[in-house]
Amino acid sequence: MPTAQLIKILLAGALLVASGVVASRFDQPRSEGTSRSGQASQPIVVWAWNTPAKSLRQFMPSFRVKHPDIDVRVEMIGSNMSRARFLLALSAGIGAPDVAMIEIQNVQQYAATKTLADLTERASHYASSFPPAFWDNCVYDGRVYAIPWDMGPCGVFYKDAVFRRYGVDAAKIESWDEFIAAGRKIVTASSGQTRMLPLATGEMSHMFELLLQQAGGQIFDAEGRVAINSPEAGVALDVLQRLVEADISANIAAHGFEVYSSFNTDAIACYVMPVWYGGMIRDATQAAAARQLAWRVMRLPAMQPGGLRNSNRGGSVLVIPAQTQHFDDAWKFVEFALCDVDSQLAHYQQFHLFPAFLPAHRDKRFDRPDQFFGGQHVSRLFTQQLEEIPALNRTADWLQAEHYLNRALSRWAATGMEAPDFLQTLAVRLARRLGREATSR
Amino acid sequence: MRARRNWADVRRHAHFYLFIAPFFLLFAVFGMYPVLFSFFLSFTKWNGLTERRWIGLANFAAMLHDEIFWTSLWNTAVLGVLTIPAMLVLGFLFALGLNAGWLRAKGYLRTAFFLPCITPMVAIAIVFLLVYSPERGILNWLLRSAGLGPLDWLNSVSWSKPSLAMVSLWRWTGYTAVLMLAGLQGIPKDYYEAARLDGAGGFARMWHITLPLMRPMFIYCSISALLGTVFMFDEVIVLTEGGPGASSLNFGLYLFNTSFVDFRFGYASAVAYTMAAFVFLLSLVIVRRRRGDENW
Repeated sequence: MPTAQLIKILLAGALLVASGVVASRFDQPRSEGTSRSGQASQPIVVWAWNTPAKSLRQFMPSFRVKHPDIDVRVEMIGSNMSRARFLLALSAGIGAPDVAMIEIQNVQQYAATKTLADLTERASHYASSFPPAFWDNCVYDGRVYAIPWDMGPCGVFYKDAVFRRYGVDAAKIESWDEFIAAGRKIVTASSGQTRMLPLATGEMSHMFELLLQQAGGQIFDAEGRVAINSPEAGVALDVLQRLVEADISANIAAHGFEVYSSFNTDAIACYVMPVWYGGMIRDATQAAAARQLAWRVMRLPAMQPGGLRNSNRGGSVLVIPAQTQHFDDAWKFVEFALCDVDSQLAHYQQFHLFPAFLPAHRDKRFDRPDQFFGGQHVSRLFTQQLEEIPALNRTADWLQAEHYLNRALSRWAATGMEAPDFLQTLAVRLARRLGREATSR
Repeated sequence: MRARRNWADVRRHAHFYLFIAPFFLLFAVFGMYPVLFSFFLSFTKWNGLTERRWIGLANFAAMLHDEIFWTSLWNTAVLGVLTIPAMLVLGFLFALGLNAGWLRAKGYLRTAFFLPCITPMVAIAIVFLLVYSPERGILNWLLRSAGLGPLDWLNSVSWSKPSLAMVSLWRWTGYTAVLMLAGLQGIPKDYYEAARLDGAGGFARMWHITLPLMRPMFIYCSISALLGTVFMFDEVIVLTEGGPGASSLNFGLYLFNTSFVDFRFGYASAVAYTMAAFVFLLSLVIVRRRRGDENW
């Protein structure tokens, strides 16, 4: 074959392939999802983090019973990687899954870009089935873009044997002042061998956000102005400062081998954490050690006796990217996974994903005693005052603000908390960084 | 006429071009396109999802007032000063040791020195988090044994950078030593024999033969280490996440955060291009200096 002819054939082939790729690229709808009417059965793809992905896979048989014509492929994606991958797929207009799991604090960021399918028509009647604090975070410009999955009501997981050894009665701890006093008692009596709680310098923002909700404060006000300089935020910071200054905490991260190994010893007396942390403790604790230490749960201390004894940390949602070609199937999957009592309870009982779906809380199974925690009604404990937790005003640049806040707080803690007027300075700097206004005190 | 002849030559040898075409096609798509697109992005405001907006030089102007950007540059410079000279000196000394005629088990030792740089960072992080642990770490145990107070290695504004520098040094010194060893083995033995015949001692041979001939290797290792420090990522995100505050935030992590946390792709491109230009100029200065030395 002459060379010229060979080149022509190869070029023609390359053009054909290229045109095919381009055509398929432009066939992807970028806006509203469409049904797959008339198409051959093609599985819908779901991206979820490790544990939730396991949970979704486990409940697939019951989904197939109700929807035998819908195939689902659940892909497990690490939460760190999922953000970048999801962003790139949305940006490219191709390659996103039909359903994706994201953190609730990121919903506004994606919703603002109109790359998520609008679920308002299908989902708005579920509004009263979720705590207002959670549902509001899924709504952008009056339209619904996500359905809440799990949430993180907080409590204190403690080792009753350690508390008893040092004469601390958990039932008498109602406020943060009493918690700090109990911590001092334990640390002093154990000569520092037992610390009250883990509280890492690099994770100060987690505790601060928890306290901020209890104090009724906000990072942004309803108009989107930076409001971290409010008196309520000052109250939260004051409690945090007293917790650090009391020298009762161990400077170790909440997720790491040091903290995991402490589950089986008396190195740390308790853990101020969201509900799902209980599952982690259960999984990482050897049976004999758990019995000896007598793990229990108590409600979160309040700012003052009689105050709010709950708060929320984290949570996740499912969203449907606008580029999906299987919108109807994707919605059926989301609805079955999250807006159904049995599904939500299956996620919770087997994988500790605490349902944001309120009807699940009314189920009798929520009243079952938990043998690991000495027969306590742990699930019920975390539902108390759940709907009183104030909603945090999320913005499209929430993640950026949260990172900045964490950096500022870790520096504040690492440098002896001596920054005068810390919150006012933080508000001004954060506002400048985000191109927003700060509220005046 | 000449152009037509050249084109005829190209057509006659078209199959050769066809064979090398895959590389150029892949390079154009995965190499050139991102570089050029990123350059274009540096003049836009873009969050990766909505419409791009042309803003001219505003991103570059914003850099001047971005305190975290300047902090990350300062941290990168400090990390560079703490690691690069020490890495070069230690790498060279280890290479001399590994090259010594009297040394036994050379293969084993060379492998051992090289291992840290191919060990996954997650495994390294577990070990160093234990080493640096304020509560149970071996470093603080040693300090306490010596009657000194414990240090909060990774959680302290003063110690976070030196702690990272030590990990980086541990991880990359062996790699530098292996490169240096290759350089040492490339020096002809004749030079040393001639010098010995002329009565040159060990120090004179080192000063007049080894060090001058190792200069290209030192320069190569310096530029590699400079790039490695500027774009260091794994160590920082796993051990400190840039904290506390921004005390250990280096340029690599700052760039990642700007892109994939803040979704500011236009600004991140401007920052990346500015840094690339700076590193390019610095490398040029190093290489030019060497060229000047050779002429002289």
